[in-house]
Amino acid sequence: MHIPDGYLSPQTCAVGYVIAVPAWAVAVRRVQRVVRNRHVPTLAVLAAVSFLVMMFNIPIPDGTTAHAIGATIIAILLGPWAAVLAVSVALGFQALLFGDGGVLAFGFNCANMAVLAPFAGYGVYKLIAGRSELTAPRRALAAAAGGYAGINAAAFAAAIEFGVQPDLFHNSAGAPLYAPYHLDQTIPAMMLAHLTIAGIAEGILTGGVVAYLQRANVPLLRVNHAGVAAPGEKPGEKPAGPRRVRPLYVALGAVAVMAVLTPLGLLAPGGAFGEDAPEDLDLHKYGLSAVPSGLNKYNGFWHHALFNGYDFTSDAHPTIGYIVSAVVGIAIVGAAIFLITMAVRWIAARRGASRRHETVEQS
Amino acid sequence: MSEQAAVSERVQVPQWLLQPELGMCPCGCVGKRKKGSYLRKTLNGGAGLLRQVMFSDDTARQDGLLQRIDPRVKFLSVIVLLVAAGLARNIATLVAVYAVTLALAAASRLPVGFFVKRVWLFVPIFTGIMVLPATLSVVTHGDVVLTLWHWHGRAEGFTSQGLTSAGLIVSRVAVSISLVVLLTLTTPWVRLLAALRSVGVPRIFILIIGMAYRYIFLLLNTVTDMYQARTSRTIGAAKHDGGARAFLGASGGALFGKANQLSEEVHQAMTARGYRGDAKTLQSFRLRGLDIAAALCCAALAAAILIGDHVLGS
Repeated sequence: MHIPDGYLSPQTCAVGYVIAVPAWAVAVRRVQRVVRNRHVPTLAVLAAVSFLVMMFNIPIPDGTTAHAIGATIIAILLGPWAAVLAVSVALGFQALLFGDGGVLAFGFNCANMAVLAPFAGYGVYKLIAGRSELTAPRRALAAAAGGYAGINAAAFAAAIEFGVQPDLFHNSAGAPLYAPYHLDQTIPAMMLAHLTIAGIAEGILTGGVVAYLQRANVPLLRVNHAGVAAPGEKPGEKPAGPRRVRPLYVALGAVAVMAVLTPLGLLAPGGAFGEDAPEDLDLHKYGLSAVPSGLNKYNGFWHHALFNGYDFTSDAHPTIGYIVSAVVGIAIVGAAIFLITMAVRWIAARRGASRRHETVEQS
Repeated sequence: MSEQAAVSERVQVPQWLLQPELGMCPCGCVGKRKKGSYLRKTLNGGAGLLRQVMFSDDTARQDGLLQRIDPRVKFLSVIVLLVAAGLARNIATLVAVYAVTLALAAASRLPVGFFVKRVWLFVPIFTGIMVLPATLSVVTHGDVVLTLWHWHGRAEGFTSQGLTSAGLIVSRVAVSISLVVLLTLTTPWVRLLAALRSVGVPRIFILIIGMAYRYIFLLLNTVTDMYQARTSRTIGAAKHDGGARAFLGASGGALFGKANQLSEEVHQAMTARGYRGDAKTLQSFRLRGLDIAAALCCAALAAAILIGDHVLGS
């Protein structure tokens, strides 16, 4: 899954760094808060472990190799932010010392394997593990599922990055300049190998390590599971009360999901139903002789669209126009989600306050 | 083998590290060992990893052209040239850049045969195999230049667009890897880290990278020992069953446990020696005339790539 230089255009690589650099900045601050000045030796040793895990290449029938990442297990043991740094450093080694993975593509390699994989894997782990005990078999299963999900999320992201290249970058004769396969070829090719082999390897590794630590080294598991009870203990005094919703996080999460899913639209064939201009309608098909007068009257009722036809350059630079329209659209939807979440939180807070007020009055 | 011997004469890597299997005749005429699993193969490759790193240190110490240039200038130049090569749209441009990297390797006294092998083995060859189907009209539509079969009366085969694309990606991958290999083979690892620090990589990353580099080999030894201990207690051929999977999980878990303990011990040792979460570098770089000339040459080369590519057209 290590993308070498030359597969992605320099412009795409810049996007990878735009994703990776903020993640590193947040990770450094988060990790420093959690492990204080112990972070350097801890992360260094974990990076070495991640490097070793990635060294074990499993041959795949199609002639290539796949490997586990170890991102999810680090996320489970020390939190996803520690995994971001450890896996990034391991990837940096491979890029600089061994030529495995490119230097320009380092941003996207990190975004896939060091950011997306640990967070996706850790999310699935938390979801499945729920509030089970620290040594419950359910946790080992959750870890295996998390590892499987994490590496597949990374592979899917890599497939999308490859697959958008031929449509975005080709020369005047139509020859692709970078990775030549389209999304409908890259996604099956990447996912087949990772859903069947690499994902299972990562799942066995993650689940196996957690199962072993449950038997042999519970203190190591407890580092990142402060509120989880071990058998024979009373359930930890976890702070009760509803979880607070942060509008900024909800909006950013929604924007991230949209940005990741956008390229899937390129896969869909044909146009959307009911979005044609009236003059493009096949009137015979619907048994009509003319465009209905109402449709004619109200079509074009609004002439003032800022990005008419997802473009503002009047077709001078269609790609730039399209991308700017997409960015502005995502930003507006993100802002709308932010405002809606703010409003919901405000209403919920008012309701809670009035209910508390009532109970105080009753007592 | 003869090339490996030539390389080992030039540099100081011990001969026993270069032999794939100890106690065997290198020509392969006497005896043959059974091929092990991928796990065993990777562990045996641990020596290869060490060898690769030691070899870089050896070549970086030689007295060549690139070895004399400031690491910061080299690092930034590699980035600029990578971007320029990434933006090039003609195979001819990329081939010319590749010729320049070969000339630089020769001027830096790197064994050119080894340099070519190091670059081309694996990634570009693998890329070539991977893009092979993309040269067909089934994947890349366009003008068919060599018809292989007909489908509903339409000719299908290699398209000129597909062949251009394959040539572009393979040559670009080769050029990119050559540039990075040139950097790593001519710069001692420690000086490369210091250069990264002075071009703005935060100090915490440099500390982590520098320490991780030291512990990779120690942890690799730990894994090899665990595997060795297991195989020496196993009678008969290794089986891929539940026991093997349990062993994998247990080794991974034990490795994490050991790594955690190691990091605690290292931290205590660091604190005992006065570490307070900050580090100072002793070495400071000074730009000399040669470095400025190198930076100007790199800028000129990047400009030549972009302008030449523009003249050739897309």
